[in-house]
Amino acid sequence: MTDSAATPAPKPSSSVKLVLLGEAAVGKSSLVLRFVNNDFQPNKEPTIGAAFLTQKCQLPNRTIKFEIWDTAGQERFASLAPMYYRNAQSALVVYDITKPSSLVKAKHWVAELQRQASPGIVIALVGNKLDLCEDDSTEDSQNDENAEGHEEEAVRKVSTAEAKAYAEEESLLFFETSAKTGHNVSEVFTAIANTIPETSLKGPRAGAGGGTQAAISGGQDSSRVNLTARGGDGGAKEGCAC
Amino acid sequence: MMETLDGTEWDVVILGTGFAESLLALSLSRSGKRILHLDKNDYYGGDEAALSLSEAEAWASRFAEDAPQCRFSKASVTKPAASEAEHGNQLSSSRAYSLALAPHIIYARSNLVPALVSSRSHSQLDFQAVGSWFVVGSSADSSQVQQRLIRVPSGREDVFQDKSFDLKAKRSLMKFLRFVAAYEDQPDVWEGSRQLPFSIFLEQKFGLPASSHEPILALTMSQASAGSTSTEHALPSIARHLRSLGIFGPGFGAVLPKWGGLAEIAQVACRACAVGGGVYVLNKSIKSMTPAHDDSGPSLELSDGEKLSTTWLCGSVDDSSALRLGTNATPSSAYSTSRSISIVSSPLPSLFPPTSEGGVAPAGAVVVVPSSDASEPPVHMFVHTSDAGECPMNQSVIYSSIAMPHDSGLPHLERAVASLLGAVREQPSPQVLWSLRYQQQHADFEHSLMNAQEGVIVLSSLSCDLVLEDSSLDKVKIAWQKITGESENAFMNFDPREGANDEDD
Repeated sequence: MTDSAATPAPKPSSSVKLVLLGEAAVGKSSLVLRFVNNDFQPNKEPTIGAAFLTQKCQLPNRTIKFEIWDTAGQERFASLAPMYYRNAQSALVVYDITKPSSLVKAKHWVAELQRQASPGIVIALVGNKLDLCEDDSTEDSQNDENAEGHEEEAVRKVSTAEAKAYAEEESLLFFETSAKTGHNVSEVFTAIANTIPETSLKGPRAGAGGGTQAAISGGQDSSRVNLTARGGDGGAKEGCAC
Repeated sequence: MMETLDGTEWDVVILGTGFAESLLALSLSRSGKRILHLDKNDYYGGDEAALSLSEAEAWASRFAEDAPQCRFSKASVTKPAASEAEHGNQLSSSRAYSLALAPHIIYARSNLVPALVSSRSHSQLDFQAVGSWFVVGSSADSSQVQQRLIRVPSGREDVFQDKSFDLKAKRSLMKFLRFVAAYEDQPDVWEGSRQLPFSIFLEQKFGLPASSHEPILALTMSQASAGSTSTEHALPSIARHLRSLGIFGPGFGAVLPKWGGLAEIAQVACRACAVGGGVYVLNKSIKSMTPAHDDSGPSLELSDGEKLSTTWLCGSVDDSSALRLGTNATPSSAYSTSRSISIVSSPLPSLFPPTSEGGVAPAGAVVVVPSSDASEPPVHMFVHTSDAGECPMNQSVIYSSIAMPHDSGLPHLERAVASLLGAVREQPSPQVLWSLRYQQQHADFEHSLMNAQEGVIVLSSLSCDLVLEDSSLDKVKIAWQKITGESENAFMNFDPREGANDEDD
């Protein structure tokens, strides 16, 4: 901090809007909670409506600030999602690897995104609850028997190969994760950050508090106006025409 | 697995997701009230929606009828035949477009800007500069009529550098600009001329030559004819323009919201209400309303028979005729505007000079085509670059409007677009690749409609103005105060939400 001579130039920072979609209780909010707070709540209440969170992701040459819109899986009237995926640059479509119907729902979401969302949207398909499948989870050894309140014996019902083949067919990023252990969670977000084309990256929203230059970020977004930078250059000359 | 709304009770039911209704939802998003937000359409944004090409085409067939009393009518889409379209620059896919039904410019001094900031909504929006104002004039000095583009000088430096004015005219113009900056303090100069056409005022009081009137009038954004634009209307509008300059950066004073104008603000507002627990249902309208009686609020029957009750019912007059039950509401005045949206095969770079050295690149320009007849209204055009997120690179969108019914207005719009495309003098000449034309009707209702029935709040729809007026938000504030009973400084004033770390603020 004091070593001003060695202060590196700040990395360019960009905001990325991400929407989470998927059937109820597949662990969407838990994935975000793990990513944002590195935390896990075993008996999380279902999300009501929607939630909004932000988290930064450091890439070697830039900082990505995710603006995460977490929608309720038990969306009551199927009317919320369209306002979330509008202009979203990325989507995380989540299913539960112990529940085949959740993959069917995930495929519906992927189809809807491909039909309705921004043409260049980056979609990641994520099979969550890897921790429930002892047989093939090698990294995650400690599994509770009744994890996440599942009553029946939870075992894998969706094979990695099946989901992966589907993801490849539809050009989706694909990961299997455990929000509980944290396995692969940050990898999903890093992969999304790396996949978003540079040209569609926007500058930091709401400015970085650094005077007028904050309104203009690194050439990528030379048209963005910072509403909080009242005053502009050379001081606010109110009615400055005269 | 859809749930039913039958038998549900709400504190507030809002009909329609247009700009005003959505801002009301935003203002109530932290109130703890149970909010149900319905829209009869299968898209958000109502009359202010932003549409893809295929959505716009479906919209046009829905409003194709000649129904002048409807908000929208006489809508049609035209495309040049495939053989006519110049090779090279063609229409892109439908979703590459996000066309605004109600394009507006927002001046930096608008009351919306501080409300978006204090409600923490601005960080989810992108605003871009509306840079230059132009007038298309014809220099008919010879037999050949040449359209040319005149950039309106927007400040003192501009006036000095402008070569089209002689020294005397420059001095007069400077004097006028100084006056407008503080016109309220000099009633002796203009009070007596309140009703006078503004161009006569400019000539009499400031000796401004006729050639300067059109550029000055362009800054008023008045949709009235030059002859009926009065001094008392023009002065505050020009003052607003000048006083907004430089607030968000040098060289511009107005902004536009990226991705389809007010539609984007409406969506951000609805999202905030959803995060606050509001329930959203598209494709649902109300069939009938039973007025409030005794201690119970209005009860509603929806289009599919579900019945629900609420303490407050809010919506625009247009949204549901049910809101007008028993009020016998007839508009106090009504007028029609003819509008068109044209997708153009060129980014029209000459309309977007930089706002200042190193400043933001403008994404919008305003072009005014005055009528040669002082009793006819001008055509206003908003031109947006692809930076506005409404069209692909190498194209632009022209939003045109004229305060005339469609049958007489449309030929004016077509001529105006053609003269603009000629006046930019590009080779090859830019082509219109697609255009949507429609008539918009605005009806003003007596303000008493707001109190017409207990438990019912009618939000008036946006006028056909080109500038977002402060009254739009003021009406939302009145509705919010009726519902919450809070004092006005709590309006749109929110703390950061947990989890949304906006350390940038």
